[in-house]
Amino acid sequence: MSVNDVQASLVALRSKFSGRAREEILFLSRQAEKMSEGKLTGAELSEAYHVLHRLAGSAGTFGLPDLGEAARVLEKSLKPHVERLAATGVADDAIAPVEPLFLRGIEGLFGLVTDQPASVPDSQNKTVEGVDDDSHGTQVRILVCHQSADVRLSLVQGLARYGFQCLEVSLTSPDLAGVIAESSRVASVFVVGEQQLEGVASECRSQNVGGRQLPVLCLAGHDSFEKRYWAAEAGAEGFFSEPLDFPRLADSIERLVSERRYRLSGRVLIVEDDSDLAEHYRLVLESSGVEVRLVSDTRHLMQDLAEFQPDIVLMDVNLAGRSGITLARLIRFEPRWLSLPIIYLSSEDDPESQLVAMSEGADEFLSKPITDDYLVRSVLHRCHRARQLSELMNRDSLTGLLKHALVKQQVHKELASCRRLGYRSCVAMVDLDHFKQVNDTWGHGCGDRVIKALANLLKNRLRETDVIGRYGGEEFVVVLPGCDVGQAQSVIEGIGRSFSELLFFGNDEDSFSVTLSAGIAALNDFSDGDVALEAADQALYQRKSAGRNGVSVYTVPE
Amino acid sequence: MSIDKLSGLRVLCVEDDPDIRAIAELALGDVGGFDVKLCASGAEALSVVDDFQPELVLLDVMMPGMDGPETLRALRAYESLQSTPVIFMTARLQPDEIKEYLALGAIDVIPKPFDPMTLGEQIGGILDRHSGTTGYR
Repeated sequence: MSVNDVQASLVALRSKFSGRAREEILFLSRQAEKMSEGKLTGAELSEAYHVLHRLAGSAGTFGLPDLGEAARVLEKSLKPHVERLAATGVADDAIAPVEPLFLRGIEGLFGLVTDQPASVPDSQNKTVEGVDDDSHGTQVRILVCHQSADVRLSLVQGLARYGFQCLEVSLTSPDLAGVIAESSRVASVFVVGEQQLEGVASECRSQNVGGRQLPVLCLAGHDSFEKRYWAAEAGAEGFFSEPLDFPRLADSIERLVSERRYRLSGRVLIVEDDSDLAEHYRLVLESSGVEVRLVSDTRHLMQDLAEFQPDIVLMDVNLAGRSGITLARLIRFEPRWLSLPIIYLSSEDDPESQLVAMSEGADEFLSKPITDDYLVRSVLHRCHRARQLSELMNRDSLTGLLKHALVKQQVHKELASCRRLGYRSCVAMVDLDHFKQVNDTWGHGCGDRVIKALANLLKNRLRETDVIGRYGGEEFVVVLPGCDVGQAQSVIEGIGRSFSELLFFGNDEDSFSVTLSAGIAALNDFSDGDVALEAADQALYQRKSAGRNGVSVYTVPE
Repeated sequence: MSIDKLSGLRVLCVEDDPDIRAIAELALGDVGGFDVKLCASGAEALSVVDDFQPELVLLDVMMPGMDGPETLRALRAYESLQSTPVIFMTARLQPDEIKEYLALGAIDVIPKPFDPMTLGEQIGGILDRHSGTTGYR
């Protein structure tokens, strides 16, 4: 079967699936209505649950990942009820509180079914220099739309070097809106030529459902203040002109992608002794994509904190037999939780008393009763802020990579784990060659761009399970779990080759490239993380003395 | 192990959802190059293994009648299938569940939804890791 035949079959299977999905959603919406009328039987509840489960597991395969995700969220919100049903044999009426959200969620599914789902890129473009979806969880896809074939080609090739995959969108398509709707499900950023900017940007805006608008970067023929103002007015989130500054473009894309990732999530630990109310908070928050854990026994609070690692804590002030205020103080006994936001849930509305309570270790008050919508919005907002802050504290501001102390901690952790479980893992020390010359010749701003480019390349080329940190000025540490030294060496060598192909522009005319050297040590050979890092550093030093631009492996002396 | 080397590998795929069976046939057969046999239930799987002699079994976890784990146990009762690699496919991936499936003797778990264009490669990667190397190609 040729590639085209496969694509044709895929399209046929997908359209069949879309038909079935619509019927199933229709069924679900009828069940949701019954639920709101209090007429849903236990058997119907569990059938609805199974339908959602099946959609969650299959929609992505048929090119409708958003439908799958939405179904999964709804499935999760029914789960506790289904489990209770299985345990007791009777459906309880606790479904009632979720019903408006549930019904709305089901209705939202309709909008996620399209007849011609996003086209999957063919397998030839798929493997760009060893980058592949399966081993590196973070493949970023970019839509490219430009009138010039030369520019398109240079974008596809240039961005591929950074590990991004480009999908070309044709403007001649009679159904631009449809194409954008489909592609925005698989891609994260749109890079658009100036002639197409207004059309594409307004289409993206009009299709903005549920806050998932695809960011658009404008690629203009020349740079001027007027042009930039025009692009900003049209809704672009970034502006680039020819000749293209690829490191800066790659960096913009990386930033937009990571912002999109953050937006959706949060982890909340709830301490509330009214179990019905706690369960209600949980359902409401979970249907908005927030992960929730309920503390049922406050004696296990510290354990729950350590296991769940929440972004924020919602703490009822008046618990049976315990005080939330005292618990908040107790949480602060541990230095690691000093910066954890604790939010009191209380019916206290006197500002003076609230202030007194806050001086005891909490950060804010939410006054009961709280509407579902307010709860979701305030929790999402606070989670987002908490994440931003912890990112600021833990991540290097230039590269977004882990800071020195944290990556070291990860080395220790991985060493303990691979020795305990008996698999092979490696640590690599990566360093830019002659970086001082780059700074001296082209200035520090340019040096920073080189450092960012390497950071972005590492993020794109390594697996999500790998750990990447900025160790010092131009020095990076990478932890590769489950790799022996041979595999680690070939991965890092591949990255080194791609990096040396990147062109940097010192000023308008002059371009240069930079190579890297790396040293690798097998973590299993060492009993201490610091010694393993030292060994990787020695191998790096060896590589530097042997002429740089390559990877050396530390050999344990006989 | 490249995907080419796996070409013609006899794969038994057990899945109750007919749409998923159809796309799995495309993904494993036409795209992946495997020799695929599809079954709609655990019971059907048991009835074809003698003739088909699979070299790899893909099992959906949640199926009416015999579910994935039960099917796995039943397959292991056949002498010729005692060491055949089995991979589970499931839409609900809890760490506990993965451990449970691995403890049952599966070599890995593929999360659903899968990408039909890369499922074959994904399986190649799993077989690779299973035979002692890692996920980098």
